[in-house]
Amino acid sequence: MSVDNAAFRDFRESLERLGIDTPSEVISDEERVRRAKQTFMDKLDGRMAVDLTTCVHCGMCAEACHFYEATQDEKYAPVHKFEPLRRFYRRELSPMRWLFRPFTRDITAQDLETWQELVYDACTGCGRCDMMCPMGIRLSTLINVMRQGLASAGLVPAELQALQNEQRDSDTVFGVGAGKLREVIDRLGRQGIEIPLDKDQAEVLVLTTAVEVLLFSDALAATAKILNRLGADWTMLSQGFEAANIGLVSGDEVTQKRATAKIVEQAKACGARTVILPESGHAYQALRWEGANVLGEVLPFEVLAMSEFIAREIDAGRLKLKSPANGSSVTYHDPCRLGRHGGVIEQPRQVLKALGLDFREADSNGRENFCCGGGCGEYVIKRSAPLRQKAFEIKKREFDETGADTVITSCANCRINLMIGADNAGWQKPVESLVEKVAASLAE
Amino acid sequence: MTLLDFARGPALQWSLIILVFGVLWQLLGTILIGVKKDLSKPRRNTAVRDGLATIATRSLPEHQFEKKIRFQHFSGYAWHVALFIAVLFSAPHILFFESVLGFGWPHLPNGIILVTAAIALAILFALVIRRLSHPVQRLISNADDYISVIVVIVPLVTGMLASAHIGARYETLLAIHFLSVEALFVWFPFGKLMHTALTFPSRFRAGAAFGRRGVKA
Amino acid sequence: MRKHQTLGVYLHAQGVSRRAFLKFCSATASLMALPPSAAAQVAAALAAARRPSVIWLSFQECTGCTESLTRSHAPTLESLIFDAISLDYHHTLQAASGESAEAARIAAMEENEGEYLLVVDGSIPLGNPGYSTIAGMSNLDMLRETAGGAAAIIAVGTCAAFGGIPHASPNPTGAVSVSEIITDKPIVNVSGCPPIPVVITGVLAHFLTFGTLPDLDHLGRPVAFFGQNIHDRCYRRPFYERGQFAHTFDDEGARKGWCLYELGCKGPTTYNACATLKWNEGTSYPIASGHGCLGCSEPDFWDKGSFYTPISAGLWGSRETLIGAAAAGAALGVGSALAARARKKKARAAEEAES
Repeated sequence: MSVDNAAFRDFRESLERLGIDTPSEVISDEERVRRAKQTFMDKLDGRMAVDLTTCVHCGMCAEACHFYEATQDEKYAPVHKFEPLRRFYRRELSPMRWLFRPFTRDITAQDLETWQELVYDACTGCGRCDMMCPMGIRLSTLINVMRQGLASAGLVPAELQALQNEQRDSDTVFGVGAGKLREVIDRLGRQGIEIPLDKDQAEVLVLTTAVEVLLFSDALAATAKILNRLGADWTMLSQGFEAANIGLVSGDEVTQKRATAKIVEQAKACGARTVILPESGHAYQALRWEGANVLGEVLPFEVLAMSEFIAREIDAGRLKLKSPANGSSVTYHDPCRLGRHGGVIEQPRQVLKALGLDFREADSNGRENFCCGGGCGEYVIKRSAPLRQKAFEIKKREFDETGADTVITSCANCRINLMIGADNAGWQKPVESLVEKVAASLAE
Repeated sequence: MTLLDFARGPALQWSLIILVFGVLWQLLGTILIGVKKDLSKPRRNTAVRDGLATIATRSLPEHQFEKKIRFQHFSGYAWHVALFIAVLFSAPHILFFESVLGFGWPHLPNGIILVTAAIALAILFALVIRRLSHPVQRLISNADDYISVIVVIVPLVTGMLASAHIGARYETLLAIHFLSVEALFVWFPFGKLMHTALTFPSRFRAGAAFGRRGVKA
Repeated sequence: MRKHQTLGVYLHAQGVSRRAFLKFCSATASLMALPPSAAAQVAAALAAARRPSVIWLSFQECTGCTESLTRSHAPTLESLIFDAISLDYHHTLQAASGESAEAARIAAMEENEGEYLLVVDGSIPLGNPGYSTIAGMSNLDMLRETAGGAAAIIAVGTCAAFGGIPHASPNPTGAVSVSEIITDKPIVNVSGCPPIPVVITGVLAHFLTFGTLPDLDHLGRPVAFFGQNIHDRCYRRPFYERGQFAHTFDDEGARKGWCLYELGCKGPTTYNACATLKWNEGTSYPIASGHGCLGCSEPDFWDKGSFYTPISAGLWGSRETLIGAAAAGAALGVGSALAARARKKKARAAEEAES
């Protein structure tokens, strides 16, 4: 139940190289603006129109943002992050567009370039501002449209673009393909942990992520242990194991749709009634909440996050846990896309309770939790490292205030980002996985 | 035609026409752009309840946020409450509403209205000063914000002067008060004052969207 | 009575004591907002004044102004002053009729060329000269002819001052005020429907004392009488401040004498001396009798909506126009939303084609 330090170092080094040789598309300024506008036009809907019209510019959203909190730099106010979108709306889609157009500056390629930093480096789409806004504006959805527009305009930061291109062109992330997965499964098999691969038919399809395969194979092992203990009819698929969805985070619809379609196809083929997602916030959002919408069809299976699945099995009395003799103290970090955006807030707490741990809630938690600082693919963007580190200080302070020995979370990305932050800050508190905790406490 | 007759007559009529016309134009033109049906399986089917709940709960800040936005939050709501009392419970206003709507309601004494209006004005000034001085608000403010503040401040001031009969002849004060309110009516549909109406669908939809995912918004 | 007799001699002959005369002069001085020392000046000037020749022309009017000025039930000093002028022509009051009446007017004009006062009540129809004629002469011609040699004109009553009721929409006779026809003579508007009698005598006293007209407001009315609105001087004002209003003419508020604002009282926008001088020898005025002020001394008072519409209420057309505006706004809203959807659909198709 630990991380291979050497692997972690390797991974950090690979992040340094990410995107360096990504060929950048040559696009004229006019074309960038045209593409961004076309995407804005497609993605803006009536709800966003209401939101953009009702904003009173109170600026309270800034107080919800970890990047603003960490820097006090006004440009990080969430409402400012979709300013070009607001102008586009007023000029092109608002019912009063004819009136507003002469008074509203058009968006330029320069605007798009300026906003790249604001929406990729300085926003993790965590949605904390959505909870703050007194008008009920869902700022994260508007900033997401900004990302989508910038992605169309070819303005995704190189690192994220590299990952997106990889997934779009070869269905892998961080170079993790079927071979790499098999390697890990074989290694775990030798440790006596059986992972059924490529069964023709299975009740339960389990997904994983490249990051888990590379760094957190213990979490994958823990998942296998739990499912095996439950005697589930489950499988993993070598051609459909990747739950990560870079298109979702970069804003590229094509990649997002492709990654989702692949999972859905495979799940349908093996007749899965349940698809279990690994510990990944954005994977949950991509399949559980956006999967059906991006494909335009209702999914024929249920989608569960691993923490959600465990809580359900404990609740039904099928999964029995032993309480550790000395209940160490833990706090839980809610991944934004699992908690605030996903609704998996109570379940991990039920699991921690069942584990008999001394659970300590941080000041910000659940739907008000602070982001780890590197969500939405941001942790791969090199130039935003200093900003992320500042945001990490907020997490560190909150974790320290709980006095808990260990931080538990249920998202590999959060875990990596918190570990990087801790590594840089020389902070010693372990950041562990909920699934691993559970697997280690399975009753005999 | 005197200024007051103009203000009470054609100016009022046209400003009301623009108000009603513009509000419906903005409201329907915005909402009817439409939203794609969400095909994901909801965690719970309580959209209406969640939406209504959020309309109410967004009026009170959550623990986490409250400590940071206390001034803005409470001054914001205090300003609205004071404004509504002054607007809705002043006797001359009720007579005005009666002339437009056909029904009236009980009023408060002049003195209380004047004090309330003064409170509203003081809070609004504090909020304007914040807008001009706070880096975030200064960055995100645009002409709409300042025009909206002006068209709200002027009727408040002229209303207080008319009510107290100071500064000019009463009919002049009353006419200016009428005209300033008419300027407010005319500006209303085109700027952020539309939040008066749109806050509710906005909050409702936030509550419903988060609610279907099992999150209290 | 002889024309060239002074006013002092005339009043003395009428049995008015010196004391009563001085009392009247100081009251007049204070009424006209003159300093107390002016009372002696007023007395000296009035006593020595020659009784001025006055020509009174009545056009489109109801004789209410004349009634108001002459029907005092007991003779007063004001009425004595009124008697003291040499009223050479007034077709309601004069004994003469027919050609001799008109001859009196011509004689007075010739005899007092440039010195006589012209008092006018009633408005002048411009629509058709035949709407109102006297001795075959149109009001317009008679006014022009008579005004020519006048020292000053006093437009008595709201009709003469502002057009009044004949001028009210749709103004079938094309009625106008004196000041719209005569622009080269000093004119004092003593508006009111009818005006307060003492205002006339006050203006006369001022003219006799100083040879000039008193200070006038922007509507040509003596500031001394029309400088403040009824509301500011109303004894019911405290109820307004407290928000205590009569809602109907027979409710508790009406019985308790609360403010009549809600019942359409025009006191706040009406400038007149009713609340201080009152009527019928200071007995009462409309608000004291339980009815709101109609605003009769203001221009166009007849056209400012119902007398019972509160002044804070709008004077706007109809609810139908608003319903029309709502329908048009809704149509435009739906139309622009449909256009927005079409644009979105096009963008969607292009996005899919390009991906």
